Parts: sequence; C-alpha cells; structure tokens
Amino acid sequence: MPRGVTGPTVRFGVPVGALAFALLLGAIILAIAGNDPIEAYRTMFDASLNGWKSQSRTLALATPLILTGLAAAVAFQMRVYNIGGEGQLYLGAIGASWVGLALPATTPAPLMLSAMLIVGALAGACWALLAAIPKAFFNADEIITTLMLNFIALSVMNWLIFGSRSFWRDPRRPVPGGKRLPENAVMPSISGRLHIGIIIAIVAAVFLWWLLRKTSWGFQIRTIGDSPRAASYAGMSVRVKTMAVLALSGALAAIAGVSEVSGVTKGLEPIALTTNIGFTGIIVAVVARSNPLGVVPVSIFLAAIATSGSRLQSIGINVEVVLLLQGLIFLTVTAGEFFVTNSLSLARTDAAETGPPPATGNGATEIEAAV
Amino acid sequence: MIEATHLEVRNLTKSFYGVPAIDSVNFDLRRGEIHGLLGENGAGKSTLCSVLSGLYRPDSGTVSLGGTPVHFRSPLDASNHGVGMVYQHFRLVESFTVAQNIVLGMHKKQRPRTIRQVESMVADLAEEFGLHVDPTASIWQLSVGEQQRVEILKQLFRGAEILILDEPTAVLAAQETDRLFEAVSTMVAKGHSVVLVSHKMAETMEYTDRITVLRRGVNGGSVTTADTTPAEVARMMFGDSKAAERTNYDAAVEVGDPVLSLTGVSVEGDHGLMAVDDATLMVRRGQVVGVAGVAGNGQRELQEVIAGLRTPTSGTIEIAGTNCTGAGPKKTAQAGLAYVPEDRLGVGLAPGLPLEHNIVLKSYDRSPHSRRGVLSDSEIEKTMNRLIDSFDVRGNRRGMRVSLMSGGNLQKAILARELNEDHQVLLAAAPTRGLDMAAAEAVRSHIIDERATRGVLVFSEDLDEIVKMSDVVLVMFKGRIVGSFTSDELDLDQIGLLMTGSGTPDTATDTSTRARS
Repeated sequence: MPRGVTGPTVRFGVPVGALAFALLLGAIILAIAGNDPIEAYRTMFDASLNGWKSQSRTLALATPLILTGLAAAVAFQMRVYNIGGEGQLYLGAIGASWVGLALPATTPAPLMLSAMLIVGALAGACWALLAAIPKAFFNADEIITTLMLNFIALSVMNWLIFGSRSFWRDPRRPVPGGKRLPENAVMPSISGRLHIGIIIAIVAAVFLWWLLRKTSWGFQIRTIGDSPRAASYAGMSVRVKTMAVLALSGALAAIAGVSEVSGVTKGLEPIALTTNIGFTGIIVAVVARSNPLGVVPVSIFLAAIATSGSRLQSIGINVEVVLLLQGLIFLTVTAGEFFVTNSLSLARTDAAETGPPPATGNGATEIEAAV
Repeated sequence: MIEATHLEVRNLTKSFYGVPAIDSVNFDLRRGEIHGLLGENGAGKSTLCSVLSGLYRPDSGTVSLGGTPVHFRSPLDASNHGVGMVYQHFRLVESFTVAQNIVLGMHKKQRPRTIRQVESMVADLAEEFGLHVDPTASIWQLSVGEQQRVEILKQLFRGAEILILDEPTAVLAAQETDRLFEAVSTMVAKGHSVVLVSHKMAETMEYTDRITVLRRGVNGGSVTTADTTPAEVARMMFGDSKAAERTNYDAAVEVGDPVLSLTGVSVEGDHGLMAVDDATLMVRRGQVVGVAGVAGNGQRELQEVIAGLRTPTSGTIEIAGTNCTGAGPKKTAQAGLAYVPEDRLGVGLAPGLPLEHNIVLKSYDRSPHSRRGVLSDSEIEKTMNRLIDSFDVRGNRRGMRVSLMSGGNLQKAILARELNEDHQVLLAAAPTRGLDMAAAEAVRSHIIDERATRGVLVFSEDLDEIVKMSDVVLVMFKGRIVGSFTSDELDLDQIGLLMTGSGTPDTATDTSTRARS
C-alpha cells in the first residue's frame, strides 16, 4: 500500500537512520583504506559544523545552492523540469555585473544591490522564457531546451570575458578577467565569505513556501503539477502557468548568480562561476522533494559534506576515498528519502496473470519486487 | 462445410478483485464458422477473449480444442496451439517492416532463416487470403486497414486456425470493411474458424453463422444467425422490456424553462474525425434527460463540448439562457453547469492531492476560500467538513491523497463539490460506473433530487440505469442523436436496435426535446 500520510517517526527517523547507516559503511571503507574512521569523522564535523568559522563557511557554500534548489523545486511542483538553472545563473551574473559596472560607483549600496537583483532576475527569467514559450505553445520538451540553453549561456559568458573586449572585461589584467565591481555593488559580508545572500536565500525559501501553500496561485500550480487534465477541467490555464513558473524558476537561479557575482567573485569571472551550482540545485530539489522549506537544510547538508572534503585530504586521506565517502553519505540519505514516500511490497508475479492494474492515480507509487 | 466443434468453453469464470467479469460462461466455436460475440461494454467479451488467447488464466472452467482440454500459459502458448487474436489496437512496431513485425517474438526454430524467405512466404499468404500488403513496407507507411491485414497475416503465419477479431471494423472505412470480410470468408472456406467480437448489429447479422451474446458476464443466449432477427439479438443484449421498469421516483415534476440547449453542434474528435455530428437537444428544468449509447459513439466529445473543454466546429450551446459556445470551462461553470466527468481520478479530481484541495477545486479563488489571492485554510476546512457530512463522504484522513479513497466516496466528493456550486443544470457522465450497490443508489438519488429545481443530462452505458432515471431518453450512435423517447413511450427493443446502428433512425422523435429554430 502506498503511503498516504507520513508520520513524524518515519519523517525524521528515516534520514537519521540512513545517515547512521552511511557512517557505518563509510567507517568500514575508511578502515580498509587504512585510515582511522573516528579521526576522519571528527575532522569532517570540525571542518563543516563545529564552531562559527566552519559553520559560516558551510553556509556561504549553501547560499547559491538554496537558490538554485528553489529554482528547480518550484518548477518540479508543476512537473516542469528546468535543467537550465546553470545557464540562468550565468545570465543573472552577467545582468547583475552589468548593472554594477554601468551605474555610477557612488550609487548608494541598497539602491545598487536592488537594481542588480532586479536586472539579474529579469535576465534569468527571460532566458528561461526562451524554453518556456516553445513548451507552452508547441509542447517542446523543456528538459532538452533548458539543457541546451546552458551551453549557449556558458559560451556567451566565456565570449564576454575571453573572446572579446566587452564592457565586462578588465583590459588591464594580463589574464582575461572581469572588471571588479565597485564597493557599493558588493553584498556586505556577515562573516568571512558568508554574505547577506544567505538572508536573501532563506527569505526566498519562506516566500516560495507561502506562495505555493497559501495562495490561490500556488493552488493552481499544485493542481497542474498533480493532474493537468483536472486543472483544465477546473478552468485553469496550463499554458500561462507553464510560462510563469519557468520564468520564476529562471529568476531564482539567476539570483544565485547575482549573489555569487556580487558576494563572492566580485566581478564576472567565468571560471569561478562555473562550479555546477545550477545542476547541484536539481539534486537538492529532488532530495527536498520540491518542498521550498526542505531545500534549505538539504543545501546546508550538501554544503557541509563538500566543505569537509578538502580538510579530509589534509589529514592524509586519499582524495578518491574522500569522494567515495561524500558520495556514499549523500546517496544513502537520498535513498532513505525514497522510502519515506514509497513503501516496499513483495508480490508474486505470474506470467499469464496480467489483470488490469489497480487504480492508483499518478503520484501514488508502489514498488513491487518480483520474488 | 461446418463440422465438429473446434473450440469449446465450459463454465468459464474469471474474477478481478472479487468481482466476476465472466461467470460460468459457455461458448462453442465450430470448425469453419464465423461466430459473432456480442455484448455491451463490460459484458465480458474482452475477458473471454483474453482467456482464449492466453492473456488471462481462468479461475475455473475449461477450454478445449478439438475435444482436448488445454491450459494456455501465455499468448505464445495459445498461438502455438493455433489460437490467434487480432486486437482492436494494433500491436506493431512502427519503424519495422511488415515481415519483421510478423516474425517478431517467434522462436528461431519456428521462423525461416532469412527475412527474404519471410517476405516471400508473407507474400504467398497475402495472395492466398486476399490480404494484400507489401511485406517490405514499414508499418508507419501503411493505412489502418493495411496494418490490420498485417496483424491478421501475423496470426496466419504462426499457424493460427482460430482467429479472434476484436471489433475489427471499429477503425475501418466501409470499403475496407468489405475487403476484410472477403478475406475472412476465404479463411473460413479453408477451414479456419473466426470469432468476431462486435457491437454492431448490421455486420454481425450479415457476416456471421451464429451469434453468442454476453450480458453482464453471463450468457445472454446463442442463436443461429439465419434464424434470428436484430430485434431478438438486441433483446438478448439489453434485456427485455419488462425487466427495466422506470423506478418510481417522486411523481413527475412540472417541466420548466430550458436550462441547457444544443443546436446543431458538431465536434471534431482527437484524430480530426467528426466525433459529434449535428447534435440538437434540450434539457428543461424538472427533467432528467438520459443519453444511451455504446461507448465510443461521441458521448465523451459531446460531454466535453458542453463543459467548455472543446470548441465545437459548428452549432451553439446555451446554458440557462447564456450562450456558452466555446466559452471555456470556467465561464461555462459560471453560467450554471455542474459537471461530473466520466474520469473521476485525473479529471474530476487531482488524484495526488488531499480532499480539502479537491473539494474547492473550482471555488478556491473565491470568497470565503480565498481573499486577495491568499487561501483561507480554516474556511476551506469548514466547507470540506460540511460537504463530508451532507454527502456522507467517508474514508478521508487529513492530508491523505484522494486516490486512496474508494470509488463511491470519490464520486460523492465530486457530486458534493459540483452541487455546492451555484448551478442550473447537472451534466453527469457514467455516474455510477464501478460503484457498489449502495453507493450507486446514493448517487442516483442525488441526481434525481436535482430534478426538483434544476435539469439533468446523464450519460450512461447502462441502459437499465438510463431508463430508470430519465424522463427523456436519447440514443447516440456514430456521433449522431438517432432517437428520442419520452418515459411513457419507451421502447427498449427499438433503443437497443438504435444503439447498435440498426433500426429506423429518428422514430418517435419527441419534438419537445429537439429545439428547432
């Protein structure tokens, strides 16, 4: 029987159990590789979560992930698959750095940063609309179009810095790079690399949750996501919502780009911006099951695993073992999530016995294993 | 020519989830005959054929071939015993050639070594039976009629002696139908036996040697075609006039102003064919109008065009005096249409979302459920609790997706939502299909209650139900409304004939239900 309602025991017990299981498996691997598991885990904990310094580093890494995770999640809510977060992020970075460089350097910071956010978000939204319009009118598969647009966006950004003497490029630097943003176009730091982008990201998560759960707009998105035919029957316009949701998704991914370019790289730096944050956001959204509030802890968890990696290498653990450990932890916790929504039932299969399938609606999933 | 029994079925029973689809069915097929298998939708024809072709295993009963009991374990096993089925929806690989499709799935030892050999054998077979098709052509290049020939050749190639044709003419044009039956005659002349599944009376009467009727999973009778009449067969299919009396609901209500009228409405189906052809009908306040017909005769398209989900190619639709032609579902609902669609989960309800979401599916954006675009969870819950109580919807748990609720409760939930809206006319499609007796009766009584102040248009494949509930019965066949009867002049024999495409169209047309302008 599929799980209709999930109780708190399952909801929190499964991820904790999965994490414990992953750590146990990881300990065996570390022992085989000749390392001390206890020392390795203490190092991981120290590097990512123990003390404000480690915590702020983890949060800094989580900031753009939250935003790209939200971008993917809002589209998933309507079963639209925006794989173009990466490209939309670049567009956000390009748009925001243009505003930061074009406005007078003396523009007050709040005004400057707001303008960068708005223009960056608009650039990302328009980029997403390039895929949304063909989808809405000709049913062009958005998975393909958004993915392809990533490569175009990457080429545009590379061309602006490496291939031309564009407005963004700093002609005085010997190695091609972007012009540095003026002081007022840089997001104020909270602590070290952590900047106010984290606040924007968390506010965005709460706002999105509210938008999807508590407004009639979100009601329509959830209905369309569950059953487009039921939505049409109730008089909702699937076409308009498809465009709106993809534009919103593109805008959120672009804000991740704004946050990175303004708070971290402080200029359009293609190499520093191409770290697959857009793609990782998709994984975040999947693990968070498209819940905007779930995106925040999942991003932080993923960022914590990532920040601990370099420290593990410094205590002499082989880089392959580190990657293996990271992958193992993430995979196990993700797999555990799967069993929160799906239950396993064993069914005998009989070659000639293929009666009509039971009437489970879409979304009701049941895994049957043949024995 | 007709000799001994080729295939014999005795007391065959097959149930799904405890509900028998066929119950102690007997059937026998003589060598060299064309045997028509008739019945309404859900009468058990497909289940019987699926057992004969090895797709299902029966719960009890026997199937014998030439006197020897057989137990097919798979369609391949049935095929090895010489039983082949041609499905209504073809099972062909579009990008493969005819010859490739014909040997697809055959064991190495059973098929010729090269595709050239297959092609020449297929060509010979095609010549022999008059099933002309190019063995080297790809499936996607062929017409529907040619594709059907490929399906038949596939079975003949595998040595089928018994061919089950599942509604073979449903997809064919008239000319192709003639060619198909020529080929079928050749087959039986060569000693093959054919089971023709159909619900078209005319072709069954014309081409078959004998007819077996299934009715609600049991035998409705077997007759020799030459000794029977369409009227007798229709009676076997739909029951006799005395069986289905109009249920004695409250005495007739005063009939008032029209709440739904269609004038000359035509609609294109999904494949560009005319699905509804010049439909004119009227529902007045105080009336239940029932539309009878075998599924697939344009009922779904007609429902959708009334609900605003399709745009008619011609004609006008008025709801309570408002012109709603092509107005879209939202405006149509606002004009006063409550709509219970055929498809409960997926159209009527969003299956993965909870009841509180579904109960306000059409009123979520209005006060009190939302104000300035912000939903009020407490108001929505109030509405849900009120409707759960008044419509006796059971089995809901907070936050549970509705797909886990039973069919009867789902239908009550849809009715609750639709009847809670301001409306003038209720459009209900297959409102009791698949429901248990108690739930079906509850749904029927809600529909009848509507008649007191509003109008109802109800579609059902169950003729008994239509007759029980309706003040006026319309019959649909091939997209046309071919008959209209008031409750006091009901002629079930005539309705049965019209439903199967025979009988004289437009007899007993009641002018009060046909708006002529």
